[in-house]
Amino acid sequence: MSGAPRRRSGVGRLLATLWILAVYVFLMLPIVMIVLMSLNAGEILAFPPQGLSLRWFVALFNNEAFMRAIGTSVLVAGIAMLVSTVVGTAAALYVVRHAGRLREGLRLVLLLPLMLPEILTAIALLFFLYATGIGTRTMFGLVVGHILVTLPYVFTNVASSLFNYDASIEQAARSLGATPAVTFRRVTLPLIKPGIITGALFAFVISFDLFNMSLLLKGIGMTTLPLQLFDYLRWDFDPTAAAVSTVSILLTFGVVFWIDRVVGLRSLRFG
Amino acid sequence: MTRLVLEGLRKTFNGVAAVHHLDLATSEGEFISLLGPSGCGKTTTLRCVAGFEYPDTGRVLLDGEEVTGQPPERRDIGMVFQNYALFPHLTVQRNLAFGLEMRRIDKVAIRRRVDAVLGMVQLSSMLDRYPRQLSGGQQQRVALARALVIEPRLLLLDEPLANLDAVLRDEMRVFIRELQKRVGITTLYVTHDQAEAMVMSDRIAVLLDGKLAQLGPPEDIYLRPRSVEVARFIGRSNLIEGTVDSAHASGIAGGTIPVRTAMGVVSARHDRPLLPGEPVHVAIRPEAIGFAGGHREQPQAAGSGAAGERVAGMDAQATTSLHECTVNRAYFLGAAVEHVVQCRGDISLVVQTAHAQRVAEGGRAAIVLGPDSAWVIPRAP
Amino acid sequence: MTHAVATATRLPRLPIGQRAFWLIAPALVLIGVFLVLPYLNIVVMSLREPAVGAPYGAGLTIGNYTRILGDGYFLGVLADTLLLGFTTTVICLLLGYPVAYHLARTTSRYQSLLYVLVLSPLLVGVVVRSFGWLILLSGNGVVNRALLDLGLLETGLQLINNRLGVTIALVHVFLPFMILPLIGVIQSIDPVLETAGQSLGASRLMVFWRLVLPLSWPGIQAGSILVFVLTLSAYVTPVMLGGAQMKTMSVLVVQNLIDNFQWPTGAALALILSACGLVAVAVYARLTSLLMKGVQ
Repeated sequence: MSGAPRRRSGVGRLLATLWILAVYVFLMLPIVMIVLMSLNAGEILAFPPQGLSLRWFVALFNNEAFMRAIGTSVLVAGIAMLVSTVVGTAAALYVVRHAGRLREGLRLVLLLPLMLPEILTAIALLFFLYATGIGTRTMFGLVVGHILVTLPYVFTNVASSLFNYDASIEQAARSLGATPAVTFRRVTLPLIKPGIITGALFAFVISFDLFNMSLLLKGIGMTTLPLQLFDYLRWDFDPTAAAVSTVSILLTFGVVFWIDRVVGLRSLRFG
Repeated sequence: MTRLVLEGLRKTFNGVAAVHHLDLATSEGEFISLLGPSGCGKTTTLRCVAGFEYPDTGRVLLDGEEVTGQPPERRDIGMVFQNYALFPHLTVQRNLAFGLEMRRIDKVAIRRRVDAVLGMVQLSSMLDRYPRQLSGGQQQRVALARALVIEPRLLLLDEPLANLDAVLRDEMRVFIRELQKRVGITTLYVTHDQAEAMVMSDRIAVLLDGKLAQLGPPEDIYLRPRSVEVARFIGRSNLIEGTVDSAHASGIAGGTIPVRTAMGVVSARHDRPLLPGEPVHVAIRPEAIGFAGGHREQPQAAGSGAAGERVAGMDAQATTSLHECTVNRAYFLGAAVEHVVQCRGDISLVVQTAHAQRVAEGGRAAIVLGPDSAWVIPRAP
Repeated sequence: MTHAVATATRLPRLPIGQRAFWLIAPALVLIGVFLVLPYLNIVVMSLREPAVGAPYGAGLTIGNYTRILGDGYFLGVLADTLLLGFTTTVICLLLGYPVAYHLARTTSRYQSLLYVLVLSPLLVGVVVRSFGWLILLSGNGVVNRALLDLGLLETGLQLINNRLGVTIALVHVFLPFMILPLIGVIQSIDPVLETAGQSLGASRLMVFWRLVLPLSWPGIQAGSILVFVLTLSAYVTPVMLGGAQMKTMSVLVVQNLIDNFQWPTGAALALILSACGLVAVAVYARLTSLLMKGVQ
């Protein structure tokens, strides 16, 4: 081979690197913008920011509507996380260890909420709630919707955790005299704990940011943070919105970094 | 010191029988290997003994007590798995203590026994390490210690050395066997490695296609295979078809008997009565054949019949035969040289000799079959 | 040794079997009752009579469908939505594949960080992200301010309330959904294959074109379908960045459900959109599996 192809590949390499870099910048750009906005000392949503200040975070904490919305979001996300984790972990245990021939079919069923568009699921639930008389007066429908969407995440994370460790470890415990219950408590559970925690955190974050589901299923007088932010942006265009967004961003990044440190992001499953 | 008895064990999966009808009885403190190729049912048998499979029919008895339907945790067995199956989230100490905690042994006694068994496997300094911090060989020894510390009545090992490199495997074979002898525990050992089985076992159970093909001490299995399948599976064997020489049939079980083959008459050992003209196989190990001092030599014994037959010159006592052959191939193996030779009657044999006794490719030579070289395997079951 | 074969006594099944079924029951109930049934109900709803003053009236009709499919406006929005889905998918593929390849093959220390960079936009929330693009692309936003202040342009660019703005934001939102499946598939391609190709005389480009690309096809397919379906049903982004000029089907659906309280119409719109999406995906899957036959 002559030297020319090698040079060409050098240029090609450079282009590819620039391209990839550009994409990463593209991915981060809006998020960085928002964080910068939230620290803007000035009134308008302008760039470059006119000095740094935390006034908008103060404004946020004084904004009753936003604080209430945050509270509701945390509550709903918390409940969704708990229920999804319990139900999802149990389902994963069954599918991986006991399902046999039904395994693939059951997996598909449990991934159904992921495969169907969120907005359709929200619509379906809305009609259903109305038809059964439950309605949207209470948070019931809202929470159920969130649980449905977060369930597959818990399931796949716990299931992959189970897959990754050898069944013979459980057999070893049995051969040493442990009953199935003791084996689960002292051997299986500690080993899938990372998968469970990851799934739970994932569930929380996803529920926190859900929009379509909350939009259609919320009752009068209740609202979640994404909805409140959306509404706010229709009328006001000030950095308070940026402050809210930054809080949300910090929460998310915190969770993601924590998961990476504990479990490693590579092990995350999306279905 | 437990006696393990398997009666009529049968296990099928999806209609296919993994184990057909297995009967096996061990003595106290005996080391028995279940030897066979993959898919022969040896692991299934082990799992039935451990309690991870329930046989379709048949019984498993430990010291006369039937345990066939008992869950694994009640059988008081110690098991070593192929990939060690150490609990990754527990230290070596906690791993070893696990079985003792299940038996509600007090902490002081646990500590004492764990220390003792770690000393036995020479890993006392590894008490607080985690399995991932240990080498493969060390993990293997911890797995062994974990199974032994609970002082079970039976030790089960499922191809424990399969994941170790060759040198380590050789060391561990001896180590495990010495340990087993010291402790004196009845042991069932699953492996597909013949050398392993022969080095370690008191007796070997050869399993082929879910059936017990032969059960006996390693020497028996190797030198006196019961069937052609066993002869083919164990070591390398030359197998020649022949018929028992009518003129010299023996009603006695034992001794040697002439067998007519396509390459001439061969004298072979046997241990059961044979009828004249009975069709048999003759099994000859490659290392049991020698070359008669080089090529183009005339056979020493008196008289030759036409076309090299030696019947006329062989009396009832003669147990050595010479056969002319051509050496087609010679492979240098390091410790030995392996030849592929062509004899009369289009019979191809593998002959293994020491380096000093080799014959070059293309040469003509005469192979010598001595009194212990050949073994009769009756063709009828 | 006797051959007394024990008649098979009732042996307990080793895997817990039936009793373990309780582990999966809650999940099945949840999905069966609150997902499967309600979806079937949407179909019923789309066939109901529309009414004034109530979400729907009595009686069943297919009038909703005929009305929508005969209305040029609705068809226009449908076409717009499908086109949007298509362009977003293609752009995501072009942008995302190199990134996925790089992440799949890289061994640098920053691997984790890069993964976080790809993953976190996903988790930050669609409202926040759309808001970010609003800041960037609006008339008084960062981009326009920069262009005007630097004197590069006289008047600002129209970057929102049109197809361009919506597309950009949608690409941003769904790019990780293209990258992540691709990473998985590319990682499963043994790097040794590329080395082998080069040893046989193929240039890096050839290796990519003839070896890596065909082998990553399942990932491309999975990512494309995912992004396409997600784009079709996106709501927040088109609303925030499309304004009144650029409406998608989802926007219309929600409009009918929440603003106009016309549930049958909304249901019919949603189902038509889903049907079109399914058809498109099916056609695509068929075409690509014909292409992939050599690879499988």
